[in-house]
Amino acid sequence: MASKSRSKRKHSAATKPANPKPAAEPIAAVAAEKTAESEVVIETRNLSKVYRDFWGRQKVQALKSLDLEVRKGEIFGLLGPNGSGKTTTIKLLLGLLFPTSGEALVFGTDASDVAKNERIGYLPEESYLYKFLNAEETLDFYGRLFKMSGVERRRRTAELIDKVGLRWARRRPLKEYSKGMTRRIGLAQALINDPDLILLDEPTTGLDPIGIREMKDMLVALRDQGKTLVMCSHLLADVQDVCDRIAILHQGELKELGRVDTLLQLSGETELRIANLSDEAQQEIKAVIERDGAKLISSKNPTTTLEDLFLEIVRDSEARPGRRAKGKST
Amino acid sequence: MVLESDIPNFLPWLLDQAWFFVRVVFALFCGSLLFGYLVAAIRNGPAKGLIVTRQVVVTAAVDLLCTSPRRIMALAWLSFKESIGQRLVVAFVLFLLILMFAGWFLDPDSPNPGRLYLSFVLSATNGLVLMLALFLSSFSLPGDIKSRTIYTIVTKPVRRSEIVLGRLLGFTAIGTLLLAATGVLSYVFVVRSLDHTHEIQPSDLSLIEKSGYQPGQKQGQTNYAQKHRHLVTVDGTGNGSTDIQHGHWHEVTRTKSGYELGPPLGVLAARVPIGGRLSFVDREGKQADKGISVGKEWTYRSYIAGSTLATANWQFENLSEKRFSTSEGPPKSLPIALSLSVFRTHKGKIERGVIGSIELRNPDTQLTSRIYTFRVREFVLHEIDIPRRQIDKADPDRAIDIYDDLISDDGRIEVIIRCEEGGQYFGMAQADVYLRSQDASFAVNFFKGYLGIWLQMVIVVALGVMFSTLLSAPVTMMATMASIVMGMFSDYVLELASGPEYGGGPIESLIRLLTQRNMTSPLPPGMMKSMVETGDSAYLFALRVVNFLLPNFSTYSDTDYIVNGFNVPAGLLLQHLLSAAAYLLVVCLIGYLFLKTREVAR
Repeated sequence: MASKSRSKRKHSAATKPANPKPAAEPIAAVAAEKTAESEVVIETRNLSKVYRDFWGRQKVQALKSLDLEVRKGEIFGLLGPNGSGKTTTIKLLLGLLFPTSGEALVFGTDASDVAKNERIGYLPEESYLYKFLNAEETLDFYGRLFKMSGVERRRRTAELIDKVGLRWARRRPLKEYSKGMTRRIGLAQALINDPDLILLDEPTTGLDPIGIREMKDMLVALRDQGKTLVMCSHLLADVQDVCDRIAILHQGELKELGRVDTLLQLSGETELRIANLSDEAQQEIKAVIERDGAKLISSKNPTTTLEDLFLEIVRDSEARPGRRAKGKST
Repeated sequence: MVLESDIPNFLPWLLDQAWFFVRVVFALFCGSLLFGYLVAAIRNGPAKGLIVTRQVVVTAAVDLLCTSPRRIMALAWLSFKESIGQRLVVAFVLFLLILMFAGWFLDPDSPNPGRLYLSFVLSATNGLVLMLALFLSSFSLPGDIKSRTIYTIVTKPVRRSEIVLGRLLGFTAIGTLLLAATGVLSYVFVVRSLDHTHEIQPSDLSLIEKSGYQPGQKQGQTNYAQKHRHLVTVDGTGNGSTDIQHGHWHEVTRTKSGYELGPPLGVLAARVPIGGRLSFVDREGKQADKGISVGKEWTYRSYIAGSTLATANWQFENLSEKRFSTSEGPPKSLPIALSLSVFRTHKGKIERGVIGSIELRNPDTQLTSRIYTFRVREFVLHEIDIPRRQIDKADPDRAIDIYDDLISDDGRIEVIIRCEEGGQYFGMAQADVYLRSQDASFAVNFFKGYLGIWLQMVIVVALGVMFSTLLSAPVTMMATMASIVMGMFSDYVLELASGPEYGGGPIESLIRLLTQRNMTSPLPPGMMKSMVETGDSAYLFALRVVNFLLPNFSTYSDTDYIVNGFNVPAGLLLQHLLSAAAYLLVVCLIGYLFLKTREVAR
């Protein structure tokens, strides 16, 4: 029997941009305490970005006074609808854009400092790679931009190609790659220097469900190796699955910041998932609930998520080729 | 061809130019610092602007110091790989096509086919390589920024200076590859196109029975090939040579069955001229700085009167027998080249030319050779080989040797030229007479010509990369193209911008056009006139500044030397290399600063 509890989401008090640490609620305070032990990897102070047109007139205020701290060993999610400033934040952290005001510090130095890139990996929104190179050449080229010996570069290239599952296509030029394959090689190039901090812009777009699962597993595995990950996405399920902490941005402003489990925890609601329960037992449970004065919101056979179902069917059919997956389609 | 201006000595030139370079760099540094501060101050306020400017200077210094050859090479490899495919092949095929059809239009009947063929291949290569450089460099970086592949580069520990240098190197490598391929092809094309021989049968030769010829000498005409034939003169042993036709001659050797003519000689040469100092003796026999003026506007040449005591004396220095020795051993003669102009007060026989004479004199011992006469025809380069065995002018019984007796111990000789016909004048300038020392290798000279093109290509690539760090691809291409055109016609633009302005500058000319006013009538005085003149002079000033900033491509081009069969002096080449390097350094720095201060993302 598995149980999950849900109730209304609690707001942590981090919406005020001037206060980077959400410590108003007890759970958030615990989380903050826990992360405070490890070193700060990314810090933004009052970070703002205004896009201007050719004549210097203000076009969009993409980011308004963002204060964030990301600590070592966590997966930090930047969440928000399109145009909310997620990508702008990542670009500012990478020094691709210059802040209009405020500052972005990565490993304690300014984001425009090139030396910090030795320890950073970046997977852009779409994998902007050179189409005329093949996978091996791509990784070798990016490897040469770091202080890596030839032997190490070759070892790392082979390792990463295996890791992202492109061994069969490693000699094909990237222009022949599908979107998912490009994404994979994109991730491999981001990891070529074995970075301590990895920034990922929409890491799961363009991937099939298996690819998404593998990507998520890889992200978690990287976190478990002690790496810090910052990803931005508008796919809530992905963020929910892998992120330790998230920040929700809307129209350039920070709306929410905190640990995912805390933010999603709904106290005051209880969900039971029970296998092989007889009808009588169900009636009895309903009676117990009524006796307790609680209110039954709904009672039904729980559904799995589509993602889970798809994965199960694929795994089943891989294990027993030629057979229909058992018992799902009746 | 004559070299109208001396090539300055290398070391004084270097010091002079280095000082100039330092001043330019200093001015640029201060100027860009001020400009950068102004921009930063407008954006961030005066105090913050100062901090930002300081930060940029510090990071720039760090960037330049930490520039890594490894990353530059990686980026150069990328640029090379990016362009090695289609574009290079297209350019090469284009060149092949040009060469294939060139044979139809290049006329072997021209008086100097060597010059024609060489100038054709050199200018075709020059144009093609510059075009390739223009396209490669203009589209690459803006393409990367537009397709955002630059994101994955700048998020690696890559300095902006490395991006600029990497591209410069990569595209230079591509251009070099194309240049090498076209160079080899051109060389083969020229050599094979000009290669020919003639035939002559023993029956075509007949004994010469005129005085002045040795017994047994025979003369005859060869057959017609490559649109010309030669007059062959052979001595008693059957060996000899042809006359010079179409800029070349052949050696003739006796074979068992008849006579055989060798390949064309002298057509692809790399003459090494030794220039002298010119002084004059006037008609009374006194030393003079100049000859006389015959009233021509161009005062480049001055004249000596014929049949008077007037002479033009050249003194040549640093001569030795070794400098004139040929592949066959010590020199048999002293080769002198003259291109004198003639001013006639009476017509005389135009066809025959005007008679002049040469004397050689040892400046120390005053030992003088007997006069050697020649005929001067206008607009022709005369190459005279004065035999090394001469007779003393003062003592006709005494035989003297040019190299042993007439060249002084410290290597000097005087060449005295007279005009021998009364009423006629010879015009000359210092560069009109030179001694032709041992020829340099034509192949090496050809290579030097390509080096000049290569330098131009590298400058175009650098300009393209510099513009592309700031501008979009089409605008970059326009800017680079404009730079090439202005750089090619730099002298003309300068003349336009600073010369006498008949009809005024562009605004005034426009007004004259619209009001149908002629070029010399003054504009009506008033406010309008001063506005127009101010506008025009501002425009012309801007034009002069731009002209000064852009490279003068014609200075890097050594085509004239190659085409006219002169060796490109090593000092000149070194000067070109150094000045190009200095220019590149500044251009790369500007490119770096542009890229550094811009956001690569949008």
